[in-house]
Amino acid sequence: MKPIEEELRAALRKQEPPEGFAARVLARVNTRPTPQTAWWAPLRAFVRSPRWRWVAAAVAACLLLVAAVVYHRREQRMEAQGEMAKAQVMKALRIASVKLNIARRKVQEIDRSGPQS
Amino acid sequence: MRTDACRAAFRTVLLVVVAACAGLPAYAQSARLQITGLEKLASKAAEVVDVTLDGPMLKLASKFIAADEDPDADKTLALIKDLKGIYVKSFEFEREGEYSPEDVEAIRAQLHAPGWVRIVGVHSKRERENTDVYLMSAGSEKAVQGLVIIAAEPKELTVVNIVGPIDLDKLSALEGHMGVPHLEMEKDKSPSKAAGSHEEKK
Repeated sequence: MKPIEEELRAALRKQEPPEGFAARVLARVNTRPTPQTAWWAPLRAFVRSPRWRWVAAAVAACLLLVAAVVYHRREQRMEAQGEMAKAQVMKALRIASVKLNIARRKVQEIDRSGPQS
Repeated sequence: MRTDACRAAFRTVLLVVVAACAGLPAYAQSARLQITGLEKLASKAAEVVDVTLDGPMLKLASKFIAADEDPDADKTLALIKDLKGIYVKSFEFEREGEYSPEDVEAIRAQLHAPGWVRIVGVHSKRERENTDVYLMSAGSEKAVQGLVIIAAEPKELTVVNIVGPIDLDKLSALEGHMGVPHLEMEKDKSPSKAAGSHEEKK
């Protein structure tokens, strides 16, 4: 047997614990304070439960529905505003065009009648 | 030390004043008129047209006009493409004398500002109709930057203020298109009105 093997064997040989070691360890374990439960622990437990999938799906569906309704209403409002703006533009241009042409025609009539009078 | 602080404060005040003065000509050159003073006439009028369209609303309207299937939509789009605002106030009254000359004069006074030029002024003594068309030109090419039409009749008062580059020929050419009535046809129906125009003076 080589010397190194003998050294290892000596180092790793079985040793009995000191007397009362097991009792001291047990006593220490019993006196250790129990860890406090974190505030999110119930939530984590709920999330890990199978029911969570259904609740999450329902909540997601509700959110999607609300978003769709809000988007649809916004689109409707925009469309109404757009149609109103378009109607106003047409009305304004109609008035401007009519008044401008009335003025132009009056000037033309005056120009035509001017040399005769 | 104190003198330095005073100088710094003076410089700041001077900068603010200079900046404010620099902005004044831009405001003075704006083709937008204050026509809100006419709103008091709305209660006396039988019919009121009040159009206030600024840049964002014009852009929104452009989108909807572009989506229109009307073949004349392109003409309208080209006309309003670069406009910054369209403001119209039109009042039709049951009786004469519901608005005062001062109401109109308050609008005309704003047109004495530099840049405005009256291109048409038709005043009929017989029909008591006054129509004035003003243009604001700017830049070296004298591009039209604004248009004002004031049409004052005994029972009707109309003020149109278009802000931005407007093509008068295109505006005039809208007649008979996009729901704008063709006046030649209307005029032919009422020859008496056309005959009365001989009394008008420019």
